[in-house]
Amino acid sequence: MGIGADTMADLKSVCSLDSLRCHPVDQPPDTDFVPPDPTLRTLIQRKKKQDHRASLKICKNRHDLYADELERLTVGRKPEEEADMVPEGEVVLTINVYYPATFEKFTYVRPHVTLLMTGSHSLAELRDAICCVSDLQVCGEFSNTPDMAPDFISKDHYKSAFFYFEGVFYNDMRYPECQDISITTIEWAKTRNFPAYSQAKMEDTRFVDLKLKVGFPYLYCHQGDCEHLVIITDIRLTHENDCLDKKLYPLLTHKHRVTTQKCAVCHVYIGRWFTTDDQFAPSDPCLFCDKCFRMLHYDAEGNKLGEFLAYPYVDRGAFN
Amino acid sequence: MSVKGFKEMDFYRKQVRSDCVELLSRFQKTDSVRFEVFSNIWREMKFSHIFYGTLNREKRAFSRLILDTAYSFFLPPFSFQIRVGGLYLLYCLYQCQTASPPEQIRLALKDWLDLSKFEKDAVDAQHLDAVYILRQLMFQKAFNFTAMPTVLVYKKKRKVEKSAPCEEFMERATRPQELINIELLEELSNIHELYGNLKSSVSLTSEQADPSFNLVRKDLIPQLRSTVMDFYKWQQRKDGTDEDEDSDEGTSSKQECSKRAELIASIKSKAFGEAAEAPKSRRHRQVEVNQTNYEAGPSHSSGYSRRNKPSLKTRTNENLYISGDLWKEVTTATHISRLTTLDFVRKDPRIAQGKTS
Repeated sequence: MGIGADTMADLKSVCSLDSLRCHPVDQPPDTDFVPPDPTLRTLIQRKKKQDHRASLKICKNRHDLYADELERLTVGRKPEEEADMVPEGEVVLTINVYYPATFEKFTYVRPHVTLLMTGSHSLAELRDAICCVSDLQVCGEFSNTPDMAPDFISKDHYKSAFFYFEGVFYNDMRYPECQDISITTIEWAKTRNFPAYSQAKMEDTRFVDLKLKVGFPYLYCHQGDCEHLVIITDIRLTHENDCLDKKLYPLLTHKHRVTTQKCAVCHVYIGRWFTTDDQFAPSDPCLFCDKCFRMLHYDAEGNKLGEFLAYPYVDRGAFN
Repeated sequence: MSVKGFKEMDFYRKQVRSDCVELLSRFQKTDSVRFEVFSNIWREMKFSHIFYGTLNREKRAFSRLILDTAYSFFLPPFSFQIRVGGLYLLYCLYQCQTASPPEQIRLALKDWLDLSKFEKDAVDAQHLDAVYILRQLMFQKAFNFTAMPTVLVYKKKRKVEKSAPCEEFMERATRPQELINIELLEELSNIHELYGNLKSSVSLTSEQADPSFNLVRKDLIPQLRSTVMDFYKWQQRKDGTDEDEDSDEGTSSKQECSKRAELIASIKSKAFGEAAEAPKSRRHRQVEVNQTNYEAGPSHSSGYSRRNKPSLKTRTNENLYISGDLWKEVTTATHISRLTTLDFVRKDPRIAQGKTS
């Protein structure tokens, strides 16, 4: 800039942090409480809230503890190997993936999962990071063969999925069983007055190649009919305070936890079996955890006792 | 950061904004852009205390809120002095925040050009402390380069509040003066003269030019000048001054005119008797009478505001009066287990439904 050393020294002293100190040097303030006689309106309001809170007795609830833990694990982590460091100039996207809207009480809370991804990740990696309970669901009645149930998870059967961004459907074609499930929509659109849609491969597209609108709703569809809303809330360049370990991405920063339904017998474990027409059950339908289910409905050798129909049940909060 | 954090912060938004407006209006009254003046006001108001008393989990969200609020003062259309004040405010808040690691200042892509122009203006006008602070922030990596200025959060609001920007901080409209400045007028008058000379030299008759050659308005330049001066005078009147006293500082130092242009400029300014429009970086020194009735933040008309309905529990408690034993029974948990029945016919009649109570 072409200014002398004296001017620099002057500047430094004028603009130093000492000039901002609002308390005497030897009395460090207690930052946990609002100082007495506040003049700023924010402080007056906060004092009121503080006094109100002191009169109640609210401890930190479970959800805040989980959120704090998530943050502790992720902010400012550096990798051990140099190769895993996120390069400078990399773009970080914040993506909200919303749970499928099947329940009616949907007005104030939009349950979602927030993921952080870098620009060089592909869409397939995003797909792998999205956990949906419908992937774990098993179709079929298993009262006669309760031990065979885990072999039939929907995630393994129906591997197709697609993303929809800006008029392009990105299909997952990594496995031979994957089909192109977006073709039905594209053909339907052709018959009506829609602009033409195109297709691409999910695993070949990286985020930097996409053209996106921040805040615009996009779609992720899997299992044929399980649809999730995907919204990009933030795009920015990486910063030294971010988590710089490439291996930790896609990074989960926020997750909505759903209340789970417990077994009707023990009220401790989450319900895993769903029975109807059950002569042993107090209600129809009824939920049981695995242990209670087997104890009640099968004898020691594993033979079925009585008449009932049993279906494996996946609770909505299974990923809590 | 969770969505819940943002909802809590909404509670503070109005107060934080009014505190920032208070600080900046005090700064505006001092008519200075020096950092020492700003830090004096900061110390007077004990502004660092604004961070005290936040709970650990709110620290980050509060820092985010106040940095976003301060950031809005740093952008156009506010006047240069307010923008410098906004920059100082951002710097002070960034240093004094209690969140750790510190919350960054979000700089949106669209604001980058404005920032560069601001820096250039400050350098040209030799406002060294502003430039130093800006570069110090860059050096400390206080900025996050983002696509959008705020992180998107989706929440429903009953009443959408529109906060109108503070009118006193706005910059006066200066486009006419910028467009028709002294140099332009000088150029125009030169060309006009040349044109006149050329026209008379090519015409056949010596003095009286053929009327069909008169395609240009003869008094274009004086008219332009008088229109712009009228506009300027009207602006001054609107702001409440009758005469402008600050004439010695007003003249722009940017122009390096030739001697002839200086002569023209002096003649013109004498003829119209008022200071020329100062460049932006010194504009704050021009005397203006601020409106005396300063109100903190605009008072927008509150639209239909819904009174919060009392909850069902309170309504029941108010309306219902139950005597002794019955009340006890009502408040303890019920022991009846089957209060509902199925609506389809059970296949096996052997399975009876037992009601226990």
